[in-house]
Amino acid sequence: MSLYVDRPSVIHRLDPLTKLCYIAAAVTVPFICPVKSVALLVAAVTYILLAAGRVVTKVLPLLGFVAPVLLSIFIIQGMFMPDNHALVFRIGPLYFYKEGLSYAALLSLRVIGILGAFSLLVLTTKPSDLIQALMEKGLPPEIGYVLNAVLQIIPQMANALQRITDAQRARGLETDGRLLDRIKAFFPLIGPVVMNAFVETKDRAMALEVRAFNSKTKRTFLHVRKKHPADVALRIMCLAAIILAVVWRLVG
Amino acid sequence: MSIIKAEALRYKYPMQDELALDHLSFSIDKGEFIGIIGENGAGKSTLCQALNGLVPHFHKGAYGGTVTVAGKTVHETSVGELSTIVGMVFENPVVQITGAKLTVYEEIAFGLENLGLPRSTIIERVDEAIELLNLAEVRDKSPFALSGGQMQRVAIAGMIAMRPEIMIFDEPTSQLDPQGATEVFEAIETLSRNGVTVLVVSHQMERLARHADRIMLMHGGRLVAFDTPERLFAMDFSGISVRRPVYTEIVRTVQKAGGISAETVPVTLEGAAEWLVKHRG
Ligand SMILES: Nc1ncnc2c1ncn2[C@@H]1O[C@H](COP(=O)(O)OP(=O)(O)OP(=O)(O)O)[C@@H](O)[C@H]1O
Ligand SMILES: [Mg+2]
Repeated sequence: MSLYVDRPSVIHRLDPLTKLCYIAAAVTVPFICPVKSVALLVAAVTYILLAAGRVVTKVLPLLGFVAPVLLSIFIIQGMFMPDNHALVFRIGPLYFYKEGLSYAALLSLRVIGILGAFSLLVLTTKPSDLIQALMEKGLPPEIGYVLNAVLQIIPQMANALQRITDAQRARGLETDGRLLDRIKAFFPLIGPVVMNAFVETKDRAMALEVRAFNSKTKRTFLHVRKKHPADVALRIMCLAAIILAVVWRLVG
Repeated sequence: MSIIKAEALRYKYPMQDELALDHLSFSIDKGEFIGIIGENGAGKSTLCQALNGLVPHFHKGAYGGTVTVAGKTVHETSVGELSTIVGMVFENPVVQITGAKLTVYEEIAFGLENLGLPRSTIIERVDEAIELLNLAEVRDKSPFALSGGQMQRVAIAGMIAMRPEIMIFDEPTSQLDPQGATEVFEAIETLSRNGVTVLVVSHQMERLARHADRIMLMHGGRLVAFDTPERLFAMDFSGISVRRPVYTEIVRTVQKAGGISAETVPVTLEGAAEWLVKHRG
């Protein structure tokens, strides 16, 4: 289960931690410097990177999803923000003011930028690579294991649920039809799924123990993550951007 | 030289009244191939887990006596430490899939990564285990996409790649077709010939009789008999349903008809044929 899109691109080859650094910068900088030009710059850089990763089209549905929210921010702030003075235009009885619209634009740019930055990580990074990168940096193996397992198990659970649904339906249980019927039909399904998971947990824990999962030695990672020469430079740039923003804020 | 030694081993699961292991004493030599047989609930799996420390470290409960494996006292040694000495494959293959790995190859490497072995060693050992268990064609498949028998072989491969000196197989062929079972027993035989001490729980008497040096018969948590297949299957057990190898049954039927009683019986096809030829007429 992942949103990862396999494409040959430089962005895909970057270290997941570098992309995490980028998220850190792309999220904090527009908040430290609360002006539209900075938010616009950050969003622009993010979407250029998404284009370089050849995944820009994958972000569009996400943007479509938030568009109504952003639109409502423009309407509400444009008409009702307390600071509103300078009238820009009116549609019949609706008056829109410059201050409100400007503030809504700032908010929207930030939202679009943040969505893009997270998408950059999620769309161009294999989840297992990200988890391994974090484990190499000290994420406890138990947590790494659980994260990996959850990513693998979700589709399995969905499969199991489907199989059980089919089995229950074969025995005459209502699983189609009106929403209420389906909700009622869902509860008898939970039993087998949860019981399965519960019974197996203990055996699984034993199986992990005998494979030295609790070993205190430093683990080896079979999968070699290739280091890209640009990684260090990019991380420094991200850090520099944050520092610059702080300085700008303190001085300006 | 004994590598496993149990003295008056007793064990009761939490909240249970009956002893699951009832005063077991035995010793096993390095390199022996041991079969373990007995009815459902006889205590076979519990005994296996008493050898790798899951009893009493993982399953709490009342524990008495001592077990030593390779010089270590089991109840004083952690499961993690024992895992490098005693490997174990469980009955249910599904729960032995870690669930955190994308391919069979990575799945088999899991234990070796945990042990922190060098990458080159891991690759070498995983390749070898894949070859030994005939898993080449599923090597890049998701472990979830395997049949029960394939999963069972992956679980075995993951254990033997860790190269413990003692390997315990709890019903390793329950989900395998006859061909697969033969392959797995032959793989175990190969390990045994290379000096690994092997314990196999199985209901497949013909196969155990063919491969095992000695067989343990368990009943109600007790060790009823522990002897070579030829001697063990010659014994009479009242009240215990032991299925003997069919070859042995044939010979015993002939023996009974002729009023012969013997200390040992043939347990393989070849052995039975030879016996019948010798006693013709
Ligand atoms: N986790 C547990 N908790 C409580 N009792 C258990 C547990 N596991 C096994 N037992 C009990 O201990 C006894 C021995 O069980 P064990 O699983 O060792 O038998 P077995 O010989 O492996 O049987 P099978 O051939 O069915 O695998 C049985 O009476 C069983 O009910
Ligand atoms: Mg058992």
